[in-house]
Amino acid sequence: MTAALQVQHVSKGFAGVPVLRDLTFSVVPGNVVVLAGENGAGKSTLFNLIVGRFAPEEGTITIRGTHLSNPSPRHARELGVALVPQELAPYEDLTVAENIAVGQEPQVGGVLKRREMHRHARELLAEFDVDIDPSRRMRTLSVALTQIVEIVKATSSGAKVLLLDEPTSSIPEAEVERLYAVIRRLRDRGVAMIYTTHRMQEIEAIADRVVVLRDGVLVLDEQAKGLAPSRIVSAMIGRELGTLFPERVEPSDEVVLDVQGLHRKSGAPEVSLQVRAGEIVGLGGLVGAGRSATLAAIFGARRASAGTIRVGDTTLERPRVQDSIAARLAFVPEDRKRDGLVLGRSILDNMTLPHLSDYARLGVLRSGRRRAAAKEGADGMALRYNTLQQLAATLSGGNQQKIVIARWLDRSPAVLLLDEPTRGVDVGARSEIYRIITDLARQGMAVLLSSSDMPELIGLSNRVLVMREEAIQGELTRAQLDAPDAQAQIFHLASGEGTELLATEGTKETR
Amino acid sequence: MRIANPVADLRDRYRGKSFGEVAVQLAVRNAMVLILLVVIAYFAYRSARFATPENLLVILIAAAPFALIALGQTLVILTGGIDLSVGSIIAVSSMSAAWVAVRNPDQLWLAPVAAIAVGLICGAINGLLVSVANVPPFVATLAMLTAGSGLAYAIGNGAPINGLPSGYGAFANTEVFGITIPVLLMIVGFIVFWFVLQHTTYGLRVYAVGGNSSAASLAGVPTRRMLASVYIISGALAGVSGLMISSRVISGAPTLGQGYELDAIAAVVIGGASLFGGRGTVWGTLLGLLLIQTLNNGLQILVIPAYWQAVIKGALIAAAVGIDVWASRRASR
Repeated sequence: MTAALQVQHVSKGFAGVPVLRDLTFSVVPGNVVVLAGENGAGKSTLFNLIVGRFAPEEGTITIRGTHLSNPSPRHARELGVALVPQELAPYEDLTVAENIAVGQEPQVGGVLKRREMHRHARELLAEFDVDIDPSRRMRTLSVALTQIVEIVKATSSGAKVLLLDEPTSSIPEAEVERLYAVIRRLRDRGVAMIYTTHRMQEIEAIADRVVVLRDGVLVLDEQAKGLAPSRIVSAMIGRELGTLFPERVEPSDEVVLDVQGLHRKSGAPEVSLQVRAGEIVGLGGLVGAGRSATLAAIFGARRASAGTIRVGDTTLERPRVQDSIAARLAFVPEDRKRDGLVLGRSILDNMTLPHLSDYARLGVLRSGRRRAAAKEGADGMALRYNTLQQLAATLSGGNQQKIVIARWLDRSPAVLLLDEPTRGVDVGARSEIYRIITDLARQGMAVLLSSSDMPELIGLSNRVLVMREEAIQGELTRAQLDAPDAQAQIFHLASGEGTELLATEGTKETR
Repeated sequence: MRIANPVADLRDRYRGKSFGEVAVQLAVRNAMVLILLVVIAYFAYRSARFATPENLLVILIAAAPFALIALGQTLVILTGGIDLSVGSIIAVSSMSAAWVAVRNPDQLWLAPVAAIAVGLICGAINGLLVSVANVPPFVATLAMLTAGSGLAYAIGNGAPINGLPSGYGAFANTEVFGITIPVLLMIVGFIVFWFVLQHTTYGLRVYAVGGNSSAASLAGVPTRRMLASVYIISGALAGVSGLMISSRVISGAPTLGQGYELDAIAAVVIGGASLFGGRGTVWGTLLGLLLIQTLNNGLQILVIPAYWQAVIKGALIAAAVGIDVWASRRASR
């Protein structure tokens, strides 16, 4: 049988940093390949190569026997490649039928044939046993149904190679089964699929084969049947954690951040926690467990309805951002482009924005001081830049993240709140960011860090609090984190359900 | 404060390039200046009356009331908003000033106080609607445009207010250092706004709120207060502008200022500001203002019928911005 997709000896790098190295694998029609790997392992780069957005530096990509010689998204699409991205972007205010039709509208001389369009949509949805009224507005659908409509749309144009980027990351457990049903049906129709996920039980449920990438190298390619989850995990993490994570610091006894009875909104449980000087406390949990919301509420980015936050000697009731900054709290948001940086302004401006009045007299900026502070911050972070006037938009993700962290440091905050500090950051910059975080703890800062990246959570934290349904479900001490089943324990607390499989396998393997 | 050295900057930027290359690059970077010069040259060639000191003064006097509202508009547009109400605020504040002046002919200082206070209040209502009630700026200021215009008529029971004491004309017609007060205010206004936007905490925060309000807010910038402030400033400047206009004609009329908001917005946008916020300069607004005012004046001098003036003006504005956008794309390549 001709492979639906063949990737042969493909390498790709950015600005001299290799992201994928000599990658070879193939997918046959009707096969579901789960592509696993940590953040930054090269999964999205691989997807971008297959959909023709990037060209490989070396190697070839062949789709259904045709070599993708001159890669362009259009060419790949014509060959039958479709991608359902992690961040869905449907036309929220159009109907389901309209969403499916956009780009291939049934028409007569530019006049839309609405009835035809609806019939077609209904047929397509029926093929997948999905019961959605085609005239519903996209906005009214759940994430899972939106996901399914996007998949239907992608395959309606005859896709033979379907790439699904973390399709379940934002779908509640109960709805995942509906997605599986759609995927199985596509499999029966001979569609080849590559599917990325961080959830172990999905591999069990859906995968025919498992491919694991680590730092751009293919480290595992096996049939899913009979493959132990622990092997997948160790293939993903693989490397010595010690090389990536600096030595942890012994925290002092002094409590610097004391959050008591933080109540975000009516109906939500209260959250209380403490962080000591020099301590890094990790916040674990699945997407939507309330980690980001808790950090935002502590900082005052989203105002809590009740709660006391003590920072050193200052006690704040339901603080606003300005109060928190004055009390020497610092916050690095999850989405640096949306909430962190003013991309159209310079490094200088972004670096000094939180403490502008420190560099001003009577509201007039003193540019000498401002430059000195920005330069010091940039150099302390090993920021790679040409001039301070350079726009933030021109920097790489890792360097942007360094600015968002560095800009708090020149007033040496007492508490650093970090939300997914290495999301979308390459491995090199990631280890630098880890070094910086640990250095800050060594200087006596209290760090509260939320992360979906298990190795990061385990590698950096002195202890980990796990959240589910907006409440803290449990705590893992350093000793528990060092135990081989730490990941399984965290997962167990986070999902609230049995992960016996992973737990038992994990312990067996490592013992 | 580090004073920038423009000559040194230029020398660095163009080091090792031929004179021709430098000239082309400078032209591309300053396309709007060139367009303005071409327009001036054309009018000067067509009419001997255009390029005279007297006519320059005429242009400046006509430009002054627009200048103040265009500066306010620059702030508002930098935050990603728009202020459609400035024309109406001019009408209300001029009627209020005239109303006060007629009743207190011996205390004329009350007139400017009334005009500015009315402008401030209207601006504050806009500001509260936008920042606290989260009404989209377009809608909030459109409502103020409508209500303000009606209010202006209501103050005079539908009629203009005439018979003002002759001292009322002093606000617009007194000369200081050989130039009238409105022109002086315009010049001072441009300098102050340039300084505020380039060199103050407030200015940088305006850019930050417009560039990414979520990020600004998480960096501790009081975004709501910033938003409210730009509408208040815009309203107050419209109030001053209203006083100047009504003082020049020594009467209050509910039709004063009608449609001025469009010229003010046009000036800012011609100057390269983005309606999405975060991008724009006072220098750009000055160029936009001068282009519009030069066109008004020059077309008038050439005795072109008013309706054709409007057509030509519209076409030239579109062409000017088109060339400028094309040139800045080229420059950033």
